[in-house]
Amino acid sequence: MKGVLGFLVYVCGALAADQAMVEKGRAEEKRSCVGCHGLRIIHVQRLGRGAWERELDKMARWGSVIKEREALLEYLVANHGDDKPAAPLERSANGVGAKK
Amino acid sequence: MLNRRQWLKAWSAGLTALPGAAQSGLVFPGKRSMLVHNDFPEDLETPVEYFDTWITPNASFFVRQHLPRPKVDAGSYRLEVAGMAASPLKLSLDEMRKLPQYKVPATLECAGNGRSNFRPRMPGLQWKKGAIGNAVWSGPRVADLLKKAAVSANAKYGNFDGADAGVAKTPDFVRSIPMGKLMHEATILALEMNGEPLPEIHGFPARLIVPGWDGASWVKWVNKITLSGQPDGGFYFATAYRYPSRPVSPGGTPKPEEMEVIEGMAVKSFFARPDDEAKVKPGLVKLQGVAWAGEQRIVRVDISSDGGGKWMPAKLASEDFPFAWRLWTFDWRPGRPGRHILMSRATDSAGRVQPVESAWNPSGYLWNAIDRIAVVVEG
Repeated sequence: MKGVLGFLVYVCGALAADQAMVEKGRAEEKRSCVGCHGLRIIHVQRLGRGAWERELDKMARWGSVIKEREALLEYLVANHGDDKPAAPLERSANGVGAKK
Repeated sequence: MLNRRQWLKAWSAGLTALPGAAQSGLVFPGKRSMLVHNDFPEDLETPVEYFDTWITPNASFFVRQHLPRPKVDAGSYRLEVAGMAASPLKLSLDEMRKLPQYKVPATLECAGNGRSNFRPRMPGLQWKKGAIGNAVWSGPRVADLLKKAAVSANAKYGNFDGADAGVAKTPDFVRSIPMGKLMHEATILALEMNGEPLPEIHGFPARLIVPGWDGASWVKWVNKITLSGQPDGGFYFATAYRYPSRPVSPGGTPKPEEMEVIEGMAVKSFFARPDDEAKVKPGLVKLQGVAWAGEQRIVRVDISSDGGGKWMPAKLASEDFPFAWRLWTFDWRPGRPGRHILMSRATDSAGRVQPVESAWNPSGYLWNAIDRIAVVVEG
């Protein structure tokens, strides 16, 4: 019984730690990406860990200063990984006649 | 439209404050309701139900931008033609308008159109079918500009740069077009799109029109043509928009020297109506769609309702121009209620036939598999 409880505490602790990492990554996404582009271009994609790593490498080469790379990667894999269903695309409202 | 500063301010204020945004989402002035892949810079897909006319109105035309859009002042704008030319040019917009103007109907398609269908997935905008449109473009021939500049016989490329610039260390968007294509009579610098001054989001004041070639070649906001013996060595020509010269297994990585520049587009067709998974009444069902083949002509489109066992010819619309898509229709009479899979397959003047499967490639370009939709016939 003691062993089972200990295992559950360990699992819950690990999940909480993972979630904290993911949330840190979410904040890092907002901090390090929006200076150059909107977030939708990230959120419409579904990539595996290796592909997200290569994207982060590319963004770093292109001038993004990523301070929490590991957290950002965990966030991307957890929310926009290739095991997730395709992201539904939003529709804009009709802008014909709208003021520029 | 928002510039980068306005967008950042709106974003930091919580996005709900985006000027002009409807409660349910974003608004892009001048555009109908579009599928939003990105809002800054705007990457907007045309919903397929809009593809019911040969000309795609400017308000419905898809948008692809790599870099934040520049604001170009018409009065101070100059087009520079430099490099291997005996008489380099600096032309104002008025001077460009005084050159002989030509109208070119041509279909523009992003090389990544249909990328969302590839497995395994790859980075990039996950376009479905609608990164394509057909317009009448007007402006001076590039050949006339190059002759006016007395281009050297040794020049092999025109390297086209626009007024857009990279953010941080993002590379500049420059594309190189070989001289043979530049001197083609249908290659123009468009100043108008469907009879209107080129909209800012589509490249005002000048956009390179390279009929039959992928959208990346159609440089927007063009302000400099450098004539050279060499193609540009930057990312957007030397690395991006390249396709493997031989088949690659899905997920594989070809060698860099096996990657070739994309030029002419593939043969393809797709359904515009009815929608995928639409419910229809029994009896006559009007099917319609578009087909195009880059530098080739569409010669037929066939429809199958039995999984590809039997193919029946669709009716091609009368508008038939080089470099422009063709609309097609098919009167389908389903024999039974229930769910049906319909397929469309195009054939072009070079004998290319739309394939059952589109070849996987690392960047997800040139998707052109036979199109399939499901239709439910009510009982």
